[in-house]
Amino acid sequence: MIRVRFHGRGGQGIKTASRILGTAAFLEGYYVQDAPLYGAERRGAPITAFDRISKEPVLERGIITNPDIIAIGDETLLNDAAANVFQGIRKGGIFFVNTHYEASHILERYCLPECKVIVHDVTDITINTVGKASVSATLAACICRITGTAGKEALINAIKKELKSIELKDETIDKNIEAAILCYDKMSEVPIETYRFNPVSGPKIIAVKHYLPPKGVAVIYAKGNTKKRKTGNWRLFKPCINYERCVRCGICFVSCPDGCISLDTDNYPVIEYANCKGCLICYEECSAKAIETKREVRTW
Amino acid sequence: MDRAKIYKNVKDINEEEFVLPGTPLCAGCGGLLALRLAYKVLGQKVVILNAAGCFTLLSTYPYTPFRSSWLYTAMACGPAGAQGIRDALDILIEKGSIPKEENLKVVVLTGDGSAYDIGLQSTSGAIHRNLDFYYICYDNEAFGNTGFQMASSSPYGSRTGTTQPSDAYPMATEQQKKDLFEIWRAHKPPYMATVSPAHPVDLSAKFKKASEYKGPKLFITLAPCPTGWGYGASRSNRIAKLAVECGIWPLKEAIEGKLKHTYIPKFKPVEEYLSLQGRYDHLFKPVRNDFTIKKIQKGIDRYWAPFLKLTSCKR
Ligand code: SF4
Ligand code: SF4
Ligand code: SF4
Repeated sequence: MIRVRFHGRGGQGIKTASRILGTAAFLEGYYVQDAPLYGAERRGAPITAFDRISKEPVLERGIITNPDIIAIGDETLLNDAAANVFQGIRKGGIFFVNTHYEASHILERYCLPECKVIVHDVTDITINTVGKASVSATLAACICRITGTAGKEALINAIKKELKSIELKDETIDKNIEAAILCYDKMSEVPIETYRFNPVSGPKIIAVKHYLPPKGVAVIYAKGNTKKRKTGNWRLFKPCINYERCVRCGICFVSCPDGCISLDTDNYPVIEYANCKGCLICYEECSAKAIETKREVRTW
Repeated sequence: MDRAKIYKNVKDINEEEFVLPGTPLCAGCGGLLALRLAYKVLGQKVVILNAAGCFTLLSTYPYTPFRSSWLYTAMACGPAGAQGIRDALDILIEKGSIPKEENLKVVVLTGDGSAYDIGLQSTSGAIHRNLDFYYICYDNEAFGNTGFQMASSSPYGSRTGTTQPSDAYPMATEQQKKDLFEIWRAHKPPYMATVSPAHPVDLSAKFKKASEYKGPKLFITLAPCPTGWGYGASRSNRIAKLAVECGIWPLKEAIEGKLKHTYIPKFKPVEEYLSLQGRYDHLFKPVRNDFTIKKIQKGIDRYWAPFLKLTSCKR
């Protein structure tokens, strides 16, 4: 059995990527199980999805803590401890990252054990071909090829089925297929040493102590500490103010939902990039056309 | 505190921030913008009671964007929680346990799912008891936190997670949006208003005005929701403005039940508003559903007709 764990951000198509991989393998005659896991958070928050693909019926359940392949849809998650992307990483496992960096850079920077790091800039291909940054089909295509679980035909049929079910238009689906095939052809199959479970002996029961509400309820004593979450990682495009065109109208300042634009002493707007989510409302609202957008190359 | 005495233009808006960046809400969330702007008038001395919804995620342990207090309540009981906090503050001040200057504004923050349905009875009760509190409903017109299922705030003709267009229901949502404003107005609270995040001056002026009244001060803000409404995040404000200009989101206030519109729109055809959003796609593609579009337009016209006569404003 091959165990795949996807990581990405809400809105990126991670859940659908795991569906496409699962459906493609299913069409090739495998037994498959796939499931997403996300907390009570919104677009941009880390999400995880799992696939189990096997020639035998899949009896294993639950989240995958010992994946054979970890597929990272958003490179900035490597830096986010809460996303826990390295859980269960091991020698011989495959670590796929959607990034413009080299594999050696990732290996060194994160001191990974001797796993096989494979990199590919899936977002770039998807933006160029589809025009959007939802990597569901393209990411699934990479993993299909690496695992060798599905051929092109099954992959294409799986993409059609899954993207139709989330009501994408036919032309968008066709573009996704085109981008997916580009990714599929760039990858090659990699032999996988699958993980074997050591059976656990006997259940272990832990009694949880009862606390009264004042102790048992989560309390935050900090005053406004969300800045530490660095939601700037969510951005795909960066708003940049051209101060020569700016007429200091203050519209961008009152339009940013996240309060990432402040005014300096001369009433010029200043963007706080550490937390700007890249919604680009400021760009759209600036009637002086003083805000430009730049596709961002991550600097994590 | 806000320094402006009156709000005339954008320059009057307080530069101090009370809701800090880095929240887990979606990029481009219109409701969050409305909250940020409202807070600029409310100031620092606030305690929020947040009924379950998208905005409960604002304070996700161990992070909070607020510089002031925040409590989480179940969907049904935001106003009941507000009563408890208000009473506690009053008692502590009376006893001299806390100085008068440390008094807080009690604010209920809730989504439309809670405001229109699940929490309606406790809101009605609190208005009836003339509880001194603010009530802010961010209305994204469905249960946005759980997959955008239909709520009684979902407008006729919109697609939600649980009302998909079909042969039997080509308009998707068959029911009309509940008129929560009128339900509240029947209680004749001291102050109530509708606001929009893309009309920051109007919004600020209303919160400022509300502060002069003791008792319930109720607000519904349109909350453009890129995730649920199906549009690119950058368009939130454009869509909010169109909602106002098409007349589908009237900006109004009512003092002791007496109604007044604070802005007379330009009455653009409602199509301009609908066609930008994925939740209305089925009205235009694959074939145009003229019947439904016209019915939505008629609803707007019928709403405005009596007021336009009163204000002798020509269409
Ligand atoms: S909206 Fe544009 S012109 Fe106005 S302050 Fe912002 S950047 Fe300057
Ligand atoms: S892109 Fe969005 S979050 Fe970033 S500064 Fe502009 S309005 Fe604020
Ligand atoms: S789902 Fe909609 S209302 Fe909820 S946080 Fe996202 S944009 Fe805001």
